[in-house]
Amino acid sequence: MKAWRIALAVAGIALAAFGVFRLVTQVPPSYLLILALWLIAALIIHDALLAPSVVGVGWLLRRYVPDRGRRYLQLALIMIAFVMVIAVPMIFLRGSQPAVKALLLRNYGVNLIMIIGVIAVISLILYVVRVARDRSAT
Amino acid sequence: MLGIAIAVLFITGLLSHYQYEPWSWLPQPAKPVWGYRLTQGIHVAAGIATIPLLLFKLWSVYPNQFRFPPIRSIKHALERFSVAVLVSVALVQVITGFLNVLNWYPFPWYFVTVHRFLAYLLVGSVLLHVGVKLPDIAYGLSAKVAEADVLTEIPWNENPESHSNAGPLPDPPTPGISRRGMLTAAGAGVGVVVLTSVGQTITPLEPLGLLAPRQWTAGPQGVPVNRTAEQARVIAAATSPAWTLQVVGPKPYLLTLADLELRAVHEARFPINCVEGWSVGASWRGLSLLEVILQAGGTADSRIQLISLEQDWGFNHSFIEGPQLSAALLATHINGQRLNVDHGYPLRLISPNRAGVLNTKWLARIEVLS
Repeated sequence: MKAWRIALAVAGIALAAFGVFRLVTQVPPSYLLILALWLIAALIIHDALLAPSVVGVGWLLRRYVPDRGRRYLQLALIMIAFVMVIAVPMIFLRGSQPAVKALLLRNYGVNLIMIIGVIAVISLILYVVRVARDRSAT
Repeated sequence: MLGIAIAVLFITGLLSHYQYEPWSWLPQPAKPVWGYRLTQGIHVAAGIATIPLLLFKLWSVYPNQFRFPPIRSIKHALERFSVAVLVSVALVQVITGFLNVLNWYPFPWYFVTVHRFLAYLLVGSVLLHVGVKLPDIAYGLSAKVAEADVLTEIPWNENPESHSNAGPLPDPPTPGISRRGMLTAAGAGVGVVVLTSVGQTITPLEPLGLLAPRQWTAGPQGVPVNRTAEQARVIAAATSPAWTLQVVGPKPYLLTLADLELRAVHEARFPINCVEGWSVGASWRGLSLLEVILQAGGTADSRIQLISLEQDWGFNHSFIEGPQLSAALLATHINGQRLNVDHGYPLRLISPNRAGVLNTKWLARIEVLS
């Protein structure tokens, strides 16, 4: 395993260094500066805003939602979060392009609500089945 | 899963790059006609799916940020730095990739160049990270899903306090969703994202494409457009009755609109497949490019440059040779109708297994280069 680890690390560092070299030699410095800002901003926005707020939601759920229901709520919320990450930018950019491009024409807001509804109904059914099973077991 | 996605993205990305800058001794094949449609469809679908998957992964390891002490050694500091590079590049890579699909460019640099070189940096960082974490990965894959304790920074086999060395995990104080449940939720979430967006590539799934950026049924003549005639500022020149095609070679000549009508007798069914992931099959009618080249004194082995009426744009010309040259049409009709001006009227290139933007529209000149 040690040989594999060293080989992977060496290959990784070499490929990464090649990428940086090509960036530095082919992209104008003023753009590189903005790219660096993007990279730092991505870290800060994720680590200082996005992740803590998700952790906060998790804390609220643990504090206020009973165990049995929480599992199904978590299931639904994870799936909804996945869909929202994709849908929200498209809601904002809808209609921003010439019509012939057939791009960003759909009503993504309504579609997002429909998908959330389906996820909520399925999770609710799973939860109800679970409650019914628990009742019949006791 | 994320690692597999990144490997797939890297390979399909390199294949796409080869579309733009092939080596002269190995020209792009013309078969299968759906080749680029498949690889680039996968690239974009996997890229979109990677966005929530990446965030999910980062969230699952987020508590590691708060271990004490934050830096234990120089080695540990280097590792944390490499992870910071990996995380920021991965986030920027998938976000700018998605924004490119949505045709929104809030950044000044040229997307293609930066996306390619960041990919090398990203994949390099992933390899380094896998090398560092290999013992944990081996453990994580061999342990039972419900019991694996993967949230440890010290490799599990060197960590006497690791749960995996002390029997099964104790029940958490308040039992919420299990690790297995989390993975199920993430898998289902990715499934929903892919299913509702891939209709832009797998055309029969279009009605399900609630979150698909492109909607091929809404495109003119059944095919979306990426660069409009208005953007290209060619409407006047392309619709002029005096339009001619210059064919430059050992025996140069001109083709007029009337010549096109006579010679547009070849038919083919090729998909048009965009680097942005959408694609749709279409029936094309037009002239055989090879016949036009032979008449100008070229051969099937010639290298050809096709030049658009459009000025001042990097993709206003393209090169074609080898199998794609023999298979290509100079199209006048799409799906039984005369091309409209957004599709490249009066004449455009269409060749199989070829990135959409390289099928030059509003042709003005064709040059036999060798």
